[in-house]
Amino acid sequence: MSNKLFPITVTVNGVEYKREVEARLLLSDFLRHDLGLLGTHVGCEHGICGACTILFDGGAVRSCLIFAVQANGHEIRTVESLGTPENLHPLQQSFHEKHALQCGFCTPGFLMTLVPFLEENPHPSDDEIREAIDGNICRCTGYEKIVEAVQDAAAKNSQAK
Amino acid sequence: MKVEGEHLFKAPREVVYEMFNDPDALGAAVPGMQKMVKIDESHYEAVLGIRVGPVSANFSGNLTLTDEVPPESVTLIIEGKGGAGFVKGVGYVKFEDLGDQTTLLKYTGEANIGGTLASVGQRMIDSVAKSMFKTVFEKLDKILEERWQKN
Amino acid sequence: MTEKYFGKPIKRLEDKFMLTGNVKYVDDIEVPGQLHAAFLRSDYAHARILKIDASEALKRPGVVAVYTADDFGDFWKPGPLQVPPPTAIPGSQFNARTLVPIAKDKIRYSGEVLAVVIAESRYIAEDAFDDIIVDVDPLPAVVDLEKGWENTSVLVHDDLPSNMAALVKQEVGNYEEAKKNADVVISKRMLIEHVAAAAMENRGFIASWDERNQEMTIWAGTQSPLTIRGSVSRALGLAESQIHVITPYIGGGFGPKVMTSLADDVLLPWISKQLKRPIKWIEDRRENFLATTSERDQVHHCEIALKKDGTILGFKDVFYHNTGAYDSYGMTVPLNTQTHTISNYRIPNFYSEIRMVFTNQMVVTPVRGAGRSEGIFAMERMVDFAAKELGISPIELRKKNLLRVDELPLNTGVIGQDFVVNILDSGDYLGNYEKCLEVIDYEKFRKEIQPKARKEGKRVGIGVVAFTEGTAVGPYEGCRITVSTSGKVTMTSGYSTQGQAHQTVFAQIIADQLNVKIEDVRVITGDTNQFAWGAGTFASRGAALVGAATYLAAQKVRAKIFSTASKKLEVPEDELELCEGSVCVKGQPETTIPLGTLAALANPMRGVVEPGVEPGLEATAYYGPPHGSTGCGAMGVIVSIDEETCKPVIERMVMVDDCGTMINPLIVDGQLQGGISMGIGNTLYERLVYDENGQLVTASFMDYLMPLATDMPKKLDIVHNHAESSLKVNPLGIKGVGEAGAIPPGPAIVQALEDAFQDTKLEILESNLSPSQIYEYLKKA
Repeated sequence: MSNKLFPITVTVNGVEYKREVEARLLLSDFLRHDLGLLGTHVGCEHGICGACTILFDGGAVRSCLIFAVQANGHEIRTVESLGTPENLHPLQQSFHEKHALQCGFCTPGFLMTLVPFLEENPHPSDDEIREAIDGNICRCTGYEKIVEAVQDAAAKNSQAK
Repeated sequence: MKVEGEHLFKAPREVVYEMFNDPDALGAAVPGMQKMVKIDESHYEAVLGIRVGPVSANFSGNLTLTDEVPPESVTLIIEGKGGAGFVKGVGYVKFEDLGDQTTLLKYTGEANIGGTLASVGQRMIDSVAKSMFKTVFEKLDKILEERWQKN
Repeated sequence: MTEKYFGKPIKRLEDKFMLTGNVKYVDDIEVPGQLHAAFLRSDYAHARILKIDASEALKRPGVVAVYTADDFGDFWKPGPLQVPPPTAIPGSQFNARTLVPIAKDKIRYSGEVLAVVIAESRYIAEDAFDDIIVDVDPLPAVVDLEKGWENTSVLVHDDLPSNMAALVKQEVGNYEEAKKNADVVISKRMLIEHVAAAAMENRGFIASWDERNQEMTIWAGTQSPLTIRGSVSRALGLAESQIHVITPYIGGGFGPKVMTSLADDVLLPWISKQLKRPIKWIEDRRENFLATTSERDQVHHCEIALKKDGTILGFKDVFYHNTGAYDSYGMTVPLNTQTHTISNYRIPNFYSEIRMVFTNQMVVTPVRGAGRSEGIFAMERMVDFAAKELGISPIELRKKNLLRVDELPLNTGVIGQDFVVNILDSGDYLGNYEKCLEVIDYEKFRKEIQPKARKEGKRVGIGVVAFTEGTAVGPYEGCRITVSTSGKVTMTSGYSTQGQAHQTVFAQIIADQLNVKIEDVRVITGDTNQFAWGAGTFASRGAALVGAATYLAAQKVRAKIFSTASKKLEVPEDELELCEGSVCVKGQPETTIPLGTLAALANPMRGVVEPGVEPGLEATAYYGPPHGSTGCGAMGVIVSIDEETCKPVIERMVMVDDCGTMINPLIVDGQLQGGISMGIGNTLYERLVYDENGQLVTASFMDYLMPLATDMPKKLDIVHNHAESSLKVNPLGIKGVGEAGAIPPGPAIVQALEDAFQDTKLEILESNLSPSQIYEYLKKA
């Protein structure tokens, strides 16, 4: 295994980072341990659980299935780009109000899956929501309240418009 | 894991049998084979790269030929281990002379697989084994063609 | 007391930080100078170790140290018996063979630790695995429970005459006598599958030895920080005061995180002390499957004896329970199975025998449901078989035998996981069942929906089962409540939190008792320097035990508030009342004194205090119940199934639950829904499969299928049906609810599947069904 380092430039949450990384460094590890963006969680490292979902040029992808070098020149958004504790993103607010999280470990992955989904499909049916989150595993909630939260966010969004 | 199958070689039994004792031929036929060295008449050492679904790793091991009844049958014992686990298998190979310069190879065998290969790759292993056998026989066909038909 | 918070669907206080990625789980903690540990694990399930040579690994750049069992010298020893067996069961046998931190001489399960590599990064530590030469002599593996029990089996522990880990016989009445009077006796053999807890966060552990202060700081994703502290103290010979265990946020527990696994919690502190560097280990998913404890996996041989009219005369169950390679966690799971088998119905004669077997598999310890699911499954199935045999509807047979409200409390005579005789203390079992039938509209399904579907060529079936959930067992939990001079209130407890909303629910109790804003209450769990007494988070006992202790401590603080205020204001206590954040005089709302001021008064910096007066507005309280409290309920499901694909779909599910008083119904529903998804997963998707060599062949989420959003019922209703008696079980009338949801889905779904094929001889004898298994069953039917 060569330890050769490759220079990369990645824009994460609007900030441009220049780093040198090994070719094998996972994007999830890069975000968490090199950039200190700890909101992206790693649950399986084989692309099934969805906890590490981020937005890669606007699309939801698993950061554990991408190497950091592949992100060179791309734009990434993590959960840290949504809201703050004082000013939650509307979807985060709905998750809070509907009790759509328990241990919270999978939550950032759900949020990052759902943000682009709701942009594309602002009035989803329950079935469409379930399909949308079928690639994210939650062991705590049984998904019921997550579906409720997404409906809540969708309803509030259309009221606001 | 159990394996079973047959393959028709277009060459006389002696030629086919001889090929199975030739590390160069076997080494060339097995995909991912990086090294195959004959230690003595019935022992070989090999390094093999295997890829099963998400698992890919090098295995180093021994191949032993026993119960040799030239040119009718041979038993192969394979033991290999590496970073992704281990494989231990026995294969019984029979060569049937069909009389028309063709030989029917029949094999049955059983393999124990452990480690990452088993815990993550189990699902794919049967199909990987099948495709590996297919490739091996295709390559051996080619080798035979070159050796036998040239002669 | 006015209840502004208690019993209300208060939104969680912890959410906003979790939602924004602002909380720290173990892997989020970086200790300056930390090194990374990786465990080389055995590829073999059972083998003798001939040689482990790690010398090459040490030459790899970035590798700091490598340890095998021999390198630990005298420090290597088997771990403690974390949960001893109860002594009260006459004639029971138990062979303690406790978990070892790292394999020495012999490997007993695939995934057992062979070497610990310490390196500058986790990547390098794992690279070094390739440099370590492991030479072993493989042995046949013990995988099958019934074969493993036989005297002829290969031995997991060579020094024992067999693989018997335990043999426990409990009898109430006389089953064999009762059987003589029976009109019908039915015997069945049933399998309960092996499943994983599969919390979304794997385990993690950081040990950091401070040489100058001679103190060990540990961050661990554990359900029981105090157990870890005790374990490290014993192992390293340190005073407990030298060890500070912190549980940061934890991404789900579900049982296994209550175990000390020794490789992390004993070896890593030792290594940190040796190297004088912080050591971090984060488990990966494959390790979690291989080497984190799991559960279920039983084989039941059941017999039920009944009269022609459906009266149950007796029940017999001889069951094999897989304990894995070691049995450090004692018999909690199979004892739970015994108590729950007899927990629903009137069963005058009961015989239950545990045959706990050592196997070459990872250790089995409680996973959400924890033996209860198994006992309920066995009994519910047998009632279904009896109904078919007798030609009585399974509904009527249940109604006939379910315990009635006037029969409780009932001493079942069976000793449970808490070492005392199981008491079914409260609830309306029959009422729950009837409520469930009503909500799912059983009559309409039978008369209209099912016949109509059948005409259309569709298969649809209904199942309605009853269940109990033994909860809130002892020994005890406690907490301390302190009012600061700022008026803010802090509660600390030895409990730890994995998503159960402790920061909110305990704050609800305190905010009402002390009449403060809930935002002003801070709840700290899982920090041994804050509060160092308690057993840990398990067995659905937090709300009941910590909740009761919180209430009791708040009462004491409340009394101190009034006595301090009475002295200061020179007004009798009975003329005072709590206004928000202060004490005021009844009828004179302008005369108030803030709690913060009282806190300062209660802690004078000069002068004298009267003898017997404790400083501060602070109190500690403990609560330990004499026996657990039994949650109870019923579940109904309607399942449709496509005969071609054999894929079941849960069209409708109704869960009726009695968990006593609810502190927060939002949280209760969340617990039930989460449990239900686990129960559905256990029944239709999840399965740990070991091959005949003891290789776990489902060690990823590609092969171990977790229930997803589309697998949940199309319509799910939760109905709370809290009996009067349930509201009196402890100071706040709280029963646990954390595991209830996971218990009944199995027998309910299986009953519904059989019902969908009632014109066939379909008989399902196991708890986990993939479409291909359903297909096999249907071929036989």
